[in-house]
Amino acid sequence: MKLKQYIKDNIVNMIIYITTLSILYLFCRILKLNIEAIISIYIILFISGIAIFFYNYYRKRAFYIDFKKKLQEIEKKYIITELIERPEFLEGQILYDSIYEINKNMNEEIKKYKISLEEQKEYIEMWIHEVKIPVSSIMLMIYKKDEISKVLKPIKTIDNLVEQVLYYARSENLEKDYIIKEIKLKEIINSVIKRNKEILILKKVEIKIEKLEEVKVLTDSKWLEFIINQIINNSIKYLNKEKSIIKISVEQKEKKQILSIYDNGIGIPKTDINKVFNKAFTGENGRKIQASTGMGLYICKQLCEKIGHKIVIEAQENEYTRVDITFSQNELYETLK
Amino acid sequence: MKKIIIVEDDYILAREQKELLQNNGYSVIILDDFKNPLETILKQNGDMILLDINLPKINGEFLLREIRKETNIPIIMVTSRNTETDEIISMTAGADDFITKPYNPNILLLRIEAIFKRINKEQDKLEYRGVKIDKARSEIKVEGKTVILSKNELIILDFLIRNQGKIVSRDEIINYLWDTEEFIDDNTLTVNINRLRNKLEQIGLKNVVQTRRGQGYLLV
Repeated sequence: MKLKQYIKDNIVNMIIYITTLSILYLFCRILKLNIEAIISIYIILFISGIAIFFYNYYRKRAFYIDFKKKLQEIEKKYIITELIERPEFLEGQILYDSIYEINKNMNEEIKKYKISLEEQKEYIEMWIHEVKIPVSSIMLMIYKKDEISKVLKPIKTIDNLVEQVLYYARSENLEKDYIIKEIKLKEIINSVIKRNKEILILKKVEIKIEKLEEVKVLTDSKWLEFIINQIINNSIKYLNKEKSIIKISVEQKEKKQILSIYDNGIGIPKTDINKVFNKAFTGENGRKIQASTGMGLYICKQLCEKIGHKIVIEAQENEYTRVDITFSQNELYETLK
Repeated sequence: MKKIIIVEDDYILAREQKELLQNNGYSVIILDDFKNPLETILKQNGDMILLDINLPKINGEFLLREIRKETNIPIIMVTSRNTETDEIISMTAGADDFITKPYNPNILLLRIEAIFKRINKEQDKLEYRGVKIDKARSEIKVEGKTVILSKNELIILDFLIRNQGKIVSRDEIINYLWDTEEFIDDNTLTVNINRLRNKLEQIGLKNVVQTRRGQGYLLV
């Protein structure tokens, strides 16, 4: 609140005051007061006018300057009433009380949504656990029977899609529901390959695993397994060469480890490469192959951001696709160990 | 015969698990009374428990703790709740392994076997036609003569012995190798089979691995 602004805001008050003084002068002349008396009256009135003006200005100024400064500084602007004191003057009190009331009401509204979101997530988790039971039954039923390869593929697709929903719900969740631990990367990679072995064997994919022995990373194993499974699933989906290769390797760089998953499949067109992590993006490859939700990589990115991994993708159309996941080593964790 | 107790409230799934385990040489009991599960389980005197976490009336993790207070029987948690937290809770409460649904049947069998192997070291020693197979040392032995097998060769031999007298397809062998985390391709399998044959011959077992055109291999 600048003085200029305040004067402008109080211009009517000042006009009334000056007009009153002018009328008073006329009265003084009519009453034939001597000049000394008139000057005295005017000095008193002038001083009291100025005093009232600046008193009002300064007590409001202190409050509003503090208010605006704090509002600018904080990120969560809605907690402003917690940071400022309720002012002494009426307008400020009305403002303060209104903000407080509005906030309270808004918080209640947000809480409703939070609860409903949480309930929805709980329901999805529960539903997924339930749906996995019949899927398990079917997988056992077809085990060692002739239909295995025919039936197994759609079942695996169901399983994969169900899991996507689960991790979508988890990635959108505001609460932290993961646990970072030191994990042997090879165990996760092996588990993902085993999950997809039927199709990998059927398509005669050559699996090359390089430099993975004893590599340990800090991550949530379930989340990372989901992420790698999505990437490997993409690789499988978009294989197109006579001799298909999936290569998994790790590079150690200073305080980081970079996991690379490479395939010699159809690659990604240049125009699409920057959009592959966007929500529901399917692009040219998605149009070529059915059953593309465009959610897989989006969820991967969300999960990676939550647990602090970096994920990037590099590709050459018709040549290769390579996904790199960077894990950082936590120094605090190292010293604690 | 090892006796496995299945604690699973979904009847269809439990029955399928039972069939799978029975076909692989285990005797199986399905727990169907969830009123007093602890007592019923202990009465059965089994060798292993497959325990679901989501059970009616009782929480599997709680039941796990209760069982652990009484006995050291191996327990594999079989669950559709696949969070790190669930796994940690189960493992710290004394579970021997943790498998999430839906799982690959072969992997369940391998995990069960691995636990029994850990408990019972003698299982590591197989015998075939007078030849001793020492899995722990990856060797085959006959009267003073020892031949070392590579990891893949040992796995293949093990698989063939299990299916002795039955034709096994190349796909089945590859599948089994992949389950044991050896991701080999078709050509490598041919190479491995030939090497295995040579090694068996060195120890006096000639023509025991027969090729059946279009069908696979047969260990006689």
